[in-house]
Amino acid sequence: MIRKTWLSLLLLISTSLNAQVLATVEQVKSASFAESTQFISADITLNKNQADNIEKLSGVRVRNFKQKVWLAKQQDKTVGWLIIDEVIGKHEFITYSMALNANGSVKRIEVMEYKETYGGQVRSQEWLMQFVGKLYGAKLKLDEDIVNISGATLSCKHIADGVKRLLSFYEVVLKKNA
Amino acid sequence: MFEFKNLNIVLILPALVVSILLTSKLVIADENNWGYVYGADTLPKGQSELYLWATDRRHKETGKYNAQDYQLELEHGFTDKLQGSVYLLGSSHEIKGSAPLDQNGNSEYGDINRNGITGTKASIKWNILSTYKDPIGLSLYLEPGYNNRFKISGEKQDEYSLEAKLILQKNFLDDTLLWATNLTLEAERRKLKASGNNWEDELEVEVTSGLSYRFAPNWWAGAEMRYHSEYPDWRKTFEREHYAIFLGPNIHWGSEKYWATLTYMENIVGAPHAQDDIRHLREHERHEIRLKVGYNF
Repeated sequence: MIRKTWLSLLLLISTSLNAQVLATVEQVKSASFAESTQFISADITLNKNQADNIEKLSGVRVRNFKQKVWLAKQQDKTVGWLIIDEVIGKHEFITYSMALNANGSVKRIEVMEYKETYGGQVRSQEWLMQFVGKLYGAKLKLDEDIVNISGATLSCKHIADGVKRLLSFYEVVLKKNA
Repeated sequence: MFEFKNLNIVLILPALVVSILLTSKLVIADENNWGYVYGADTLPKGQSELYLWATDRRHKETGKYNAQDYQLELEHGFTDKLQGSVYLLGSSHEIKGSAPLDQNGNSEYGDINRNGITGTKASIKWNILSTYKDPIGLSLYLEPGYNNRFKISGEKQDEYSLEAKLILQKNFLDDTLLWATNLTLEAERRKLKASGNNWEDELEVEVTSGLSYRFAPNWWAGAEMRYHSEYPDWRKTFEREHYAIFLGPNIHWGSEKYWATLTYMENIVGAPHAQDDIRHLREHERHEIRLKVGYNF
């Protein structure tokens, strides 16, 4: 009987492990840069100085030194950057994309994977739209320049912190390559 | 009160919860990173959670002492800051020769082998400061309850209780390291069936504190501490009758719908105690294990 009980519990646990993929890389590329004809992979591995700088400028910890980046081009003209990033959710990582215009302002944010029980409202473009146009130096603080979703505070805070960190990443790394 | 004769409630209640989970479209929430310490978070508005608590308490100074406490809890978020719960309580006792002796050399309670449903509770939890936005998370918790079996001896009783809890929580390292501390006051009014119409008052004062660190996605590990003390007849004389301190590790797993927490607590020190021991074992056991399994919907 004990064995059966534990087996049932394990079964329950295993059924909850399905990842919820909301958007693929190709989908966010076309949603973020419909005008682009070419995406050039430009992944970055930060060195310690760069990571320290980003942390200093953003006030947010750099947990992963590898950053997935594409340069978006329309013919020969650079129209922006696409970055795929992760922030900590309640249980797992929240994967999201951030498209930047060529001047470093936020063009579009999209949540690509969300596997949390609550806080799913952060996936909506209605909430994510408030980041559009933000530049490096923006405060990005809940209840100040970012509207919090009550009941989804952890996800809101971590996504806002992630955007702040990526804007500093642009300032420290991408801007020089623009 | 209904009794499960000849059945082991340890197996029945988990099986019941599992059955409910498998046959419903429920999904779980205000998940507990600790077995004994409460966190400051509340369920979002409109969300619900069903969970089972099972606590195994074993070993006194002598004889055989084997007791389990169960709670089946249904929790609901009324607003994003206020949640309520109702509980169904159960327990089992297998006691043989482990009762302490009174001043006349007689056992304070007899041997017993029983299990069954024993009572009910309700609670509300109000989140005042957010763990994620304010310098520290703060919640208040209130829980009235009724239990018809004495936790220590398993004897029949009528017990009414009111528990109040102050909950503090502070998160560090991008919310991957959690610290929480609770101050709990619980007033109990109890009449053991064997004692006629003698109502006894008791106040329990408890401080619990715990750490929990997320070492991998979905997985947390930590430790928790529990200081428990009791003040019988506290309205007349506020004198501590006994205290016990427990310490132990815990592990927590959580996902989108389900979570589970397992805590081991060792009784490490207390008073009064036997000459050859430093633990208070008259009203506590040498060790406790608590398992919580939750489901959000």
